[in-house]
Amino acid sequence: MKLIPVILLCLFCFMDIAAQTGSIFGRITDSRGLSLHGANVVVQGTAMGTSTDSSGQYKISRLKKGVYRLEVSMVGYKKSITREVEVNRTPVELDFTMEETALQSKQVVVTASKYEQQLSELPVSATILSSSDINDRNVVSLDYALRYAPGVNMNYDQVSIRGSSGYSRGAGTRVLVAMDGIPLYTGDTGEIIYELIPVTQIDRVEIIKGAASSLYGSTAIGGVINVITKDIPEKPHFYAKAYYGLYDHPYYKEWDWSGELRPFNGITLTHSNTIGKLAYVVSLTPSENLGYRQDDYYRRFTGFLKTDYKLTELSSLTFLGSYLGQNRGNFIYWKDSRHALQPRDVDQGQKVNSQRYMLAAVYKNVFSPDFFLKARTSYYRTDWRDETSSHDTSRTGIFEWELQTNYRIIKDLIITSGLESGAGKVNSNLFGQPGSFNIGGYLQSEYRFPFPLSLTLGARYDYSRLDTLKGFDSFSPKAALNYRLSEATTLRASIGKGFRSPTLAEAFTSTTASGIKIKPNPRLMPETSLSMETGINHNFGLLINFDLALFQNEYYDFIEPGVDLTDGLITFRNLTRARIQGLEMNTMFYLIPQRLSLLTNYTYLWARDIENNTPLKYRPRHQAMASLNFNSGPFELGTDFRYWSKIEALDFELVDLGVVTDGGKRVPVYLLDFRTGYNLLSLGLPGKIFININNLLNYNYIEIIGNISPIRNASVSLEVSF
Amino acid sequence: MSGTERKYTVKKLLYFVFIFSTLFLFGCNGGLSPEPEGQSQQQEAGFGGSVAFLGKWPTGVTRTHIVAFRSPLLTAGDFNALNLAFVSDSIPYGVSGIVFSSLINPGLPIKAGQYAYVAVAMSKSPTLSLVRKDWFVAGVYYANGDTTKPGKLTIPENTFVGNINITCDFNHPPLQPPGGE
Repeated sequence: MKLIPVILLCLFCFMDIAAQTGSIFGRITDSRGLSLHGANVVVQGTAMGTSTDSSGQYKISRLKKGVYRLEVSMVGYKKSITREVEVNRTPVELDFTMEETALQSKQVVVTASKYEQQLSELPVSATILSSSDINDRNVVSLDYALRYAPGVNMNYDQVSIRGSSGYSRGAGTRVLVAMDGIPLYTGDTGEIIYELIPVTQIDRVEIIKGAASSLYGSTAIGGVINVITKDIPEKPHFYAKAYYGLYDHPYYKEWDWSGELRPFNGITLTHSNTIGKLAYVVSLTPSENLGYRQDDYYRRFTGFLKTDYKLTELSSLTFLGSYLGQNRGNFIYWKDSRHALQPRDVDQGQKVNSQRYMLAAVYKNVFSPDFFLKARTSYYRTDWRDETSSHDTSRTGIFEWELQTNYRIIKDLIITSGLESGAGKVNSNLFGQPGSFNIGGYLQSEYRFPFPLSLTLGARYDYSRLDTLKGFDSFSPKAALNYRLSEATTLRASIGKGFRSPTLAEAFTSTTASGIKIKPNPRLMPETSLSMETGINHNFGLLINFDLALFQNEYYDFIEPGVDLTDGLITFRNLTRARIQGLEMNTMFYLIPQRLSLLTNYTYLWARDIENNTPLKYRPRHQAMASLNFNSGPFELGTDFRYWSKIEALDFELVDLGVVTDGGKRVPVYLLDFRTGYNLLSLGLPGKIFININNLLNYNYIEIIGNISPIRNASVSLEVSF
Repeated sequence: MSGTERKYTVKKLLYFVFIFSTLFLFGCNGGLSPEPEGQSQQQEAGFGGSVAFLGKWPTGVTRTHIVAFRSPLLTAGDFNALNLAFVSDSIPYGVSGIVFSSLINPGLPIKAGQYAYVAVAMSKSPTLSLVRKDWFVAGVYYANGDTTKPGKLTIPENTFVGNINITCDFNHPPLQPPGGE
């Protein structure tokens, strides 16, 4: 890690910007002829560039004699490439007019229905996180970025969309997380390992809210998060990002267990190119975090490879590979509230070593403008070992494939169909050596009426089996509507059935860890849901976009961990009935177009075990967030405020059983993050520098029982790209 | 919206953000805080676990408590106030089970020490009494699955002992201590 500054210095040294002879200058304006301040102007295929000043002027000097095109980009405008200009000793003037894009909600394309659609055409609620949403916040893994998505909350490392999930130490997920459509849940616990997703390679993250089992099957009962990776550029491209940060001293003196500022850092090096028909990108990231809590460090190495081979003009074969090697401490619960950043004595020194990799191949063929075929296959291997007295280990392999077609039968009718299957095998002292198998088929039609209404009808049949247990099957139909009431207003409504099979971990875990005895439950059944939503999206002129959704999810045989009262052991059980209902309101204010914007969100959740009339664990009733973004030329600034009310219920059993001392302590959460960045293109350098301060107020809170969330931390990051 | 109106709207919103941020900055404290010294649960001795009730509850039960005695109940005379070390809050009639903590639900708090008999006791008496015959035992704590004799509970100083689980099977009641009806 000490090499980072040296590497960065070298990166700049390699940028030879001397000894050139010509220049291009000009003015960038919008369609009304107004100057654009802060537009990026880059010489295509090179690292040279600049950004426009307050009068929209730019100048790129010291260009060698030759023919060039300029690439002009700016938030809110279409990225454009200029005509070719010939440069010699005489300065060349090149003015350019940029074309404005409409409101963001209209231009974003999503693949919720397994084919590309505009966001405004979707019959369900969806949120998009762009690459800049992720990059500007200097997040090191996707789960941190998801905390900033409206309607989404993270319970430590478990994602919950509109209250779909509580916390079960990673076992099972009610949200399907996929990378380019390839599911990323592990074969044993069914958890999501976010570190396996290369954050610098993310183009966008599509978050689909509500049950999506009719297309995606089990685990999509609460929604889908699909990570779309960036396209590979045609020209050789190098990208590097390095960051260094420190955790502040804790708010309370008695918590300052180390007496020092704890550092975290990392560097990502990425190279991409296209050689003939083959395009590739390779990315390597070593990183480490010494942790603000004792025994909560990690050292990790991630690697990512993507190749894209163009078989013909209309068909391609893509290969994806992702690797994670990690050594980390294993902080389970605090010792007590006076030692909130130290583990219990029995958990001291816990650590886990893991190696995980995912390999996938995707074949796409556009047979005709009306018929598209996609086939994918993937293998996801995980291997981890708990380096404690228990020496728990698990080796898992899960193999999956899917065949999907999209067929436009007539002009306004699109049929999406597919077949998907997976098989996994586990070898673990915790779960035994069970295997799993599932297969599912789906069919969905979307019809666009002559008036602005689209109707989506679909269904999926799944069969799944866990080892020797009796197999389950499930039929998940769905109906959805999208009606454009006027140019500014869109209505949507959907109803669908969802289901989720228990994971091997939920059914077969047998262990004692940290005083918690967990026993298997071979009688565990799949949970099902009926999910309903209605929503409205309205644009108040070009300055305000408002979205409101009302939702209700009825869960049957809801799987939650709890104490079996006959023996006091923790086990996963089917709660008879649960209901989650609420509303979500999002408003985007374009206060000063292209300069200042404010995103606000409020989510109300009423989540109950309706059999016992008790609140579901880890579901805050009120959630709100506000995100203010400002940019002026090369300078940008942003702040995020997040609030959620005190969670009504958590694992009180662990308090009663004496496992987590002071475990009932929890508070409403008020979080403030700050970030600022500067685009170095204005100085002639193809890079950006960011400063981030998270948890600015050093507010202490928990997401899960007995675990203080990250205290105030600040980081500086630098990225260069040429 | 005209340029002037837009400026006015932006100003109003920024004022709102400013006022809200100021209130927020001064209004919220450090959030979750440590318990004062000596008041953390860890420094309090106690025990906890679960109680499961199997079968149909007997009619006429007026109160149900988890109790702990210092010495074994070998004679009717051992059922006395001096031997009684812990009484929980009353357990609601008809429940299928509860999770309890002596720290959260103490009728009579427990101290560190050794306890020979931990049980769930029920009474049908309309008034609270310490007369042995007014009580019957619905379930007994057994250690390590050994149901041949009541389990001993040891609570060291400053320690909370978990996993003290009791099953009350109304169809198969445990051996009653001497002195009952």
